[in-house]
Order: sequence, then C-alpha cells, then structure tokens
Amino acid sequence: MSLEELSKLVEDGETEEAEELAAKLLKDGSDPLLMIEELTKTMGHVGDLFAKLEIFLPEIMLAGEALSGVVKVMEPYLDAAGGQQVKGKVILGVVKGDLHEIGKNIVGLILETNGFIVKDLGYDVDPLTFVKEAEAMDADFIGASSLMTTTMPRQKEIIEILLDKGIRDKFKVIIGGAPTSQMWADEIGADLYCKDAKSTPDALTALLA
Amino acid sequence: MTTAYRHWEILERSTTGPFMDEDDFLPRRFTPTLKKLIKKYEIKYDPANPCPTDDAMADRIWQAAWDLFREVGYYNTDSHRIMQVSDQEIKEALYMANDSYLVGAGKDAVLFEHRQVEDSKTPFCIMSPDITCDEQYHQSICMAYLKEPLLDGICGPILEKTFGHLIESAGPSEISGCIQHIYNQKMAARLLGRPGTFMVAVGTAEHDSGQIAVSDDNWGVQKTDARLVGSLTEFKTADTLLNRSLHYAQYGSYTGNLTGAIYGGWCGGSEGTAVTTVAYSLIGLIMHGAIFNQHFPFHLNYGSNTTRELLWAISMAGQALSRNSNLLYTSNGFANAGPMTEMVFRETAVHAMVSTVSGWNLWEMASTRNKYRNRATPMEARIGCEVGHAVARQGLTREQVNEIANKLLAKYEDHAADAPIGSEYHECYDVEKAVPTQEHYDMFRRVKDEIADLGIEFPY
Repeated sequence: MSLEELSKLVEDGETEEAEELAAKLLKDGSDPLLMIEELTKTMGHVGDLFAKLEIFLPEIMLAGEALSGVVKVMEPYLDAAGGQQVKGKVILGVVKGDLHEIGKNIVGLILETNGFIVKDLGYDVDPLTFVKEAEAMDADFIGASSLMTTTMPRQKEIIEILLDKGIRDKFKVIIGGAPTSQMWADEIGADLYCKDAKSTPDALTALLA
Repeated sequence: MTTAYRHWEILERSTTGPFMDEDDFLPRRFTPTLKKLIKKYEIKYDPANPCPTDDAMADRIWQAAWDLFREVGYYNTDSHRIMQVSDQEIKEALYMANDSYLVGAGKDAVLFEHRQVEDSKTPFCIMSPDITCDEQYHQSICMAYLKEPLLDGICGPILEKTFGHLIESAGPSEISGCIQHIYNQKMAARLLGRPGTFMVAVGTAEHDSGQIAVSDDNWGVQKTDARLVGSLTEFKTADTLLNRSLHYAQYGSYTGNLTGAIYGGWCGGSEGTAVTTVAYSLIGLIMHGAIFNQHFPFHLNYGSNTTRELLWAISMAGQALSRNSNLLYTSNGFANAGPMTEMVFRETAVHAMVSTVSGWNLWEMASTRNKYRNRATPMEARIGCEVGHAVARQGLTREQVNEIANKLLAKYEDHAADAPIGSEYHECYDVEKAVPTQEHYDMFRRVKDEIADLGIEFPY
C-alpha cells in the first residue's frame, strides 16, 4: 500500500477505497502534508487531462469527490501537522435568472482541489445573496457566472451593491461564463475575467499577491 | 403539441414523480445509465469517418436513446422530482407525430418535412445568427437574413439593449426588448415582401414572461410561427421552461425544443453525445409537445460543433432519428471562426453537408463560438444552405460526403482552438442596404469555388 496507489484511486474516482487506504497510510505513520502535496499533484494531472478532454466531466467530478473524501479522513492529521494551506475563500454561484451551472461547477471543483475553500450557492442566485454570503464567510472572492447575455447585468448588480454598501474593496469580484469577456469585466469594474476553469486558481492567487 | 390532452398528465408528474436530490441526478442517474447503454448497444466512435455509414449502429443509437429517456426521465429542478414516461407513451407520441407541418403564412408558407438519410429532398433551411447584436444593427441584420433566397425560416439576433437600457432577464426591460425584437423582425419581413415568413422567435426572451409578452397574431409572434423551449444540461427542466411549452400549446403557435448535449460534459464523448441528442428529440416531443427539435451538440472547450468528434455525433444522431422516426429536427451549426474568414465558410460547409446527407434539416450558423456580439452574418448561413441544397439535389452518398468533409477538415481542424474571430457585421456588411461588402462576397465566392472543385455541384 503506497501513496502512488492512493493517487491512482483518487484519479480513478474510487472514493471508498481511497478513504480506506488514506486511513491506513495515516495510521501507519505517513506524513499528511506529504500526502496532500502528492494528491494536489494528482488532481493537477487530472485537471490537465480534462482540459484536453482526454477524460470527461464525470471522471473529473468523481476524482474530485474521491479527493474530498480523502481530505476529510486526513483533516485531524492535517490539523495536528499545522493545518492545510488555504489559498483563499470563494463565494461562487450562477446569477439570478440563469439556470445553467456546468461551468460554475467545474470552476468550483478546480478551485477546491487547488487549495481554495469554496461555498457554492448554486444557480439563480440573487445579487444581494452573493454579497451577504461573502460577508458571512469573510470571503476573499465573489465568483459570479452567467451563461446568458440577459443575465450578465446581474454580475454588474453585485458590484453596484458592494459599492452602495461601501464594501467594494473587501472582495475581489471575478466573473465568467460563455457570453462574458474581458471587455465586459472592464465595463462593469470586475477584478477578473475567468476565461477557463484551468487558469482560474493561478489567476486568483495572483490577485491576492 | 402532438397529443394535447396528454400535456397535463405529463406536467403532473413534475409534482408526483420520484424525488431525487439534484446533486445526485447527473452523477448517480444520468451518466451511469448512459455509460451502461453505450456498452450494451456497442456504440463506438470512429474518428476516421466524420460521416459514417453504419446503419446498424444508427439503429442501436436510437434504441439506446429510447432506453436512456425511459430509464432516466426528465428532472424538474423546482420540484426536485423526476418526470418519467412508459414505453407505451413513447410509442403513442411517435405514432401521433406528423412528418410535416405547413409553417409560415399566406404565400410565404412552407412545408417543413422529415427527411431520409441521403434524401434528394432539399433541407428546410432556418437561418439565424444566434448571437447578440447592438441595438443599432438589429433591424439591418434581420433584413440581411430575410434577403437570403434559400431562407425558409428566420430566428433573428438577440438584443442586449432596448432603447439604451440593458436587458435584464425577467425584468421589464426584457419584455420591452422582446417586443422590439419581434417588431423589427416582422417589419423587415414586410418591407422585403415576404410578410408571412416562418419565424422562430424571440431569442431575446430568456424568461417565460418575455415569450408570453409577444404572443399576438396582429403584431407579435403569430400562430404560424414557432417558439423554442430549452432544456437544462443534461435532461433537466424547470417551471419557467414548462411554463413556456404550456403557453405555446395554449396560444397555438408551434413549439421547437432547443437542446445542446455537451461533448466532454455529463454525456462524455461522441457516443454519449449522439445518444443524448437523439433522446432529446423524444423529450421535446413528449415533455414539451414540440413539432421539431433544434439540436446544437457542442464541444465543452471550444463551444463549437464543426470538429470531427462532434460531426460524427451529429451524423449518427441524424441517421438514428431519420431511420427510426418521422420527427422533424434541425442541425444547428456552431463554428469556431468568425465572419469573413475562409475558415468559417469551410466549417459551415462541412457542418451542412454532413447534416444534410444524414437526414437533418438545417439551422445555420452560429459563428465565433456563438460568443461575440455582432459576429455573425447571413453569408455563413448562405454557404451552409447552398451546400445543403447541392448535396441533396446531387444525391451525394454518405461515403462521398465523408471524403469531401475529411478534405475540408484537414484545412481547419488544427485551428479549432485558435480560430480567427473575423469581423463584426458592420465591418463586412453595408448596414444601410443590408448587403455584404464586395470583399466579403469575394471571399464567399472563392471558398464556394474551392468546395465545388471537391465535387459539390451547386445549382447556381
């Protein structure tokens, strides 16, 4: 039983087996920080395969589930070893009036597997809910996705509410979705336009630097 | 609506069907069932043949799609319940479905018909830019499309603003924008002397209230027109969508079901995309009472469907539907490249020839991945529909189309990821006269001649 085998189980989305093996490795004295570092590399590899569509969405979702399961098993050990490094806290959702969430789900998964804490509000989310949830979480980012041109204005409304409440500087607002663009991000004063899921973790990290 | 009296029985299942957590529906129900059926029916993608000729596999895809719909059902995200139908109900709906409808009005009415694989009957051509446009160009773009001789039906561009106000879904600006949209489209048709042209409208309506606001036989969407109701990816619906199909049926206009199975998403690869696309036609017929299905399967990363993994899925889905039903369905092209590029003309030509020979009617053409405002023109639709007519009239076989498609794919498929975005409407059209610039027309002619040299005999 080895770390390589654990990586393979996570990559294959075998949640139960991965959890069992992780528990055994930890019990046998494996370094939890080393384990999390290795599993992060594994998810990076899975993310690369998905970006090239050498695997598809169900496979990366299963791998993400397996990783979440393993991280849960590891939590007490990670806390004892000094805790996990959290890169940032993100409120994520699809804006009001929009029911399409596949892109948002992919971004959420990629962020979570890259060290971000994500609270997913789902779809059809009121602009004020984004703001209230971000305040409650003390989030670093508000991520708002839109797939329809007629729901894009709701991204702008989030920024307007932040301005009206005098808390615009408290959160970085990131936008994405098929009809959105850098031009739209500039027009509404968003901090970042996410052109794809893969580049999002690095882009968010750079924003906080 | 094929069987109007069933509509209420179907809708009721949205509150009485089995409960399931939405988070579980796709990963625990849809995808595992689809994978199981692909294996059971031995469905296998063949990258060498974007336009395959495997009749037996087409029939197996039909059966897999039937099983998929019956086993998985249709999930209502508002009630968190699954709407399911029986084999008997599917059979009844297919038996009752017409193989043709007279759409549009008066002298402009046209017959929208089911097509066979390798049919010599020309495809029904709906032209649409599918994109948003600036308010100042909306009227002109509608005019430009309606000037196309091969147009059988039009779906106009989507407004982002109405009288300077940004349109917000479900808000008052959407209702205003929808009315402006249909006025522009109807006025363009009247000015051009084809007032009864079949329209699929209005794309500006994202919310049900916007669609309901334009139902009017005097100034709005008429009963001889059609409207679309979409599905949520994959196999999901919501009350706002069901509201639409009920309203369309009660108002009396035609219903089209708008679906885009995502390659790389929950349906996996080409095999799953083909099966899911076919199943969506059954969903459209039975859940929404649609007389036609408007399918745009697309690539998760590119947002297009002109590369071979999507062409294979489109071809097989078309063949499966054509051989096993008498339904109506349009193949909606999504190109990577933008207007006034040689690439977009080649992409559209390939999409149209593969679709036509596989039994589809045509819906051309969303350019530039359907992403950029003002970046679509009637010239893309023109080449697609001219190719479709030529392929049918000439009686080309799937083998012949496959060979031509492979030659054209060799010229563009490596550029799918970095395709040129081309020009905006006003850069390649005379906006006042709604005609293409000479440069644009010359490029169209050049690529058309290149395609003719590969063996496509254009009627003119």
